[in-house]
Amino acid sequence: MDTLSLWLLFIIVGLGTFLVRLSFIELHGSTQKLLERSRNILALLPPAILAAICIPSILFSRPALEFQWDITQIAAAIATVLIARFSRSVFWPIVGGMVCLWVLRWLGKVL
Amino acid sequence: MQFCTYRAQYWQGTRDLLPLVSGVLPFGLIAGANGVALGMNPETIMGMTLLFFAGSAQLAAYQLIQEGAPFVIILVTSVVVNLRFAIYSATFAPLLAPLKKHQRWPIAYLLSDQVYGLCAIPDQMAKSDGERLWYLIGVATSMWLSWILSVIGGVALGASIPAAWSLEFTIPLAFLAMLVATITRPVMLLVSTVSGVCAVLFQLLPYNSGFIVAVVTGVIAGLLLPNFLLTRALSSNKLKQNKSEQTKTQTQEDN
Repeated sequence: MDTLSLWLLFIIVGLGTFLVRLSFIELHGSTQKLLERSRNILALLPPAILAAICIPSILFSRPALEFQWDITQIAAAIATVLIARFSRSVFWPIVGGMVCLWVLRWLGKVL
Repeated sequence: MQFCTYRAQYWQGTRDLLPLVSGVLPFGLIAGANGVALGMNPETIMGMTLLFFAGSAQLAAYQLIQEGAPFVIILVTSVVVNLRFAIYSATFAPLLAPLKKHQRWPIAYLLSDQVYGLCAIPDQMAKSDGERLWYLIGVATSMWLSWILSVIGGVALGASIPAAWSLEFTIPLAFLAMLVATITRPVMLLVSTVSGVCAVLFQLLPYNSGFIVAVVTGVIAGLLLPNFLLTRALSSNKLKQNKSEQTKTQTQEDN
């Protein structure tokens, strides 16, 4: 993507995000019903989005068209999940996963 | 007098944010460095950071830009990732709605996960509106500053990180860690499983539309399946109850 369309994208997303943040503040008073109805959907969106973003790119190594299973990436992801269950930060699970990935790739080269 | 308590609240908010910086800093470094790895120039990355002021949307956009997804898909995904801000907006609406536009809009822009986490707890709700507002402004402005500085740090570091480190794999790992933190109820696990399976099955659909299909399917499954299972459980309970009532009446009649 060229720089111009990147900027266009960022400006529109920035505006959209701002409107989401502003939504209920601006409409305060007239939206309690709508909010009650949509609260359930809004609560379910994060797990759905996060899973759809990360799971394909963990299972398969890119470039995507070849769809090669990547065992080192899957092992790294398992390490991340295990650490994430004990650590409340997002940082240590990522570090653990990356270290696992590096070690496995290094072993793959050595063996 | 009142001015003094408001200032104290502002600095209290800033102080309470400080421990959270340990989580914000590495995330910002990842966001900055991955932008460099994607070949974006520093102005574009910082423009994006200022416009979004939302780390997970920024990483989601990187991932899709990297995959060559079309404009509309990146746009929709990034905004949808931020839909959780609607919950924050609703939470703080009673506090912020009475303010004037030139105060309300900047504060709305500054709403973030950290602000919600610190300002929506019962301790805060017990304070007066003025105190809550200044505490929130303290948290929000210091959060903004630490995010922007962390991303600048990431941009500065980014160029010196070798490609062999596969830095871009930190993006799916970050989402995975966030996913684990999000799953607080069984229905969340159900939603993410359905969505993840669909994302894998439909990843060959054109224009990355498989992503949207997966999210919609996951949410629908989360809305419908628990109700479905519940009504089935209830109706089988009712059947049992009816039966026991029938036997009761029969025994009464027998008597």
